Amino acid sequence: MSEPETDAEGTDEAVSSPTPGSNIAGTSQPESGALIENPIIHSQDIDVFYGDEQALQEITMEIPEKQVTALIGPSGCGKSTFLRCINRMNDLISAARVEGDLLFAGKNVYDDDVDPVALRRKIGMVFQQPNPFPKSIYDNVAYGLRVQDKEVTDEIVEEALRGAALWDEVKHQLDESGLELSGGQQQRLCIARAIAPDPEVVLMDEPASALDPVATSKIEDLISDLAEEYTVVIVTHNMQQAARISDKTGVFLTGGELVEFDNTQKIFENPEHQRVEDYITGKFG
Amino acid sequence: MPRNEYQSQLADLRADVVDMSETVAERLEMGLEALETGDEALAEAVIDGDDEINQMYLDLEKQCTDLIALQQPVAGDLRFIAASFKIITDLERIADLATNLGEYAKAGETSLFPEVDIQELGDVTLEMLAESMAAYAEEDREQCYAVNDRDDDLDYLCEVASDTVVRELIEHDQLDADEEIEAYMEDVSRFLLTIRDIERIGDHSVNIAARTLYMIDNNDELIY
Repeated sequence: MSEPETDAEGTDEAVSSPTPGSNIAGTSQPESGALIENPIIHSQDIDVFYGDEQALQEITMEIPEKQVTALIGPSGCGKSTFLRCINRMNDLISAARVEGDLLFAGKNVYDDDVDPVALRRKIGMVFQQPNPFPKSIYDNVAYGLRVQDKEVTDEIVEEALRGAALWDEVKHQLDESGLELSGGQQQRLCIARAIAPDPEVVLMDEPASALDPVATSKIEDLISDLAEEYTVVIVTHNMQQAARISDKTGVFLTGGELVEFDNTQKIFENPEHQRVEDYITGKFG
Repeated sequence: MPRNEYQSQLADLRADVVDMSETVAERLEMGLEALETGDEALAEAVIDGDDEINQMYLDLEKQCTDLIALQQPVAGDLRFIAASFKIITDLERIADLATNLGEYAKAGETSLFPEVDIQELGDVTLEMLAESMAAYAEEDREQCYAVNDRDDDLDYLCEVASDTVVRELIEHDQLDADEEIEAYMEDVSRFLLTIRDIERIGDHSVNIAARTLYMIDNNDELIY
């Protein structure tokens, strides 16, 4: 792991002060030339290994602040692995090894002085299956705050539920179990839990794949709203979903390679690479 | 290759658009022949056949909308469908103009100005239509540019033809009877409309070439 070019000291400071257009050395533009003006995340030559097997190969990508970036690609291409690199969720897999630089607001998240828990406060995550705790709706939202020793107030809980477009549906049943909600509501509850600590980035790993079309459309609307406050990075198998909701799209293909990263419109109208064209038009994959 | 059904629907669309263009070219040829020979039955056949072309257009329009609604095409596939959607409109309009030629053939005198070779102009449009559709069928970008260049020649020929008509009008002997004047005016108007319609057929072929270039390369330089 090489030293990041930053003088930030201490995890909290490093992960809480994104510097738009910061002095990230070796910044490379997306392959097709789209300009990233405010990268909040900069991946430089990230390799990931699971034991002897290489899951990602030299992933270089700049993720813009307060936009939706979608990562698409066939199963096993490494897009979820890359997502988990951003908030060091791969640390939880003992055989996983990450090489390269992954800068968040200019600070390498893999530096020794970075506390992964503090990092995840700034980079929250929502998973494929809604996973509310067997607690009340209120406590589900409050949980994320409590584990980080943050103050829990009714106002913060309400704000998070409003931010997740769930408040109007649950405001009279905050003491009821989160497990009593529908699948779509449970997922929005998980989003509320993720945004309650006021992160800067929200990572989503196929957040709507277990939901019906109506619940999916609510989540998609919500993602667009979230991008006004947060940077959203979403892994999805649903290419039309990526086309509908994202500003930038990265296409991973088999072998853990990021083949193209560009404005979503460009990717879906006129991609640079034939392999990407073949994948998104369904000719392979 | 995955999505076999989808791929086969795309191939069908391309083949059906080419089929429609062949029928339209046939009607254009018949219209031109009716103009040359004054064959009223042939002229009538072109006019009656327009319903068939309209139905082909509607069927193809549905193929395009079904593909968009059901298959969510993107990138090159989407450009192909969008281009096909526009091209069938141009083909339908060419067929309308061919029926106009049939109407002119039925209406009366079509060899008023022997110095103007309507068949020569018509042959150019037939070739432009064939070339633009070959470009579409074979994704031939060079052919697209060639059709566009050819249109300049056709425009020039049509302009010369119109000038010839106007010059002859100026030099024409005075007609005495009102009826003669009326009939002559109608014949002249029809002749000028024939030239205009042929020039428009060329424009539609250029549209086909322009949309084809967009389809192939996402290049819109020939559109307008």
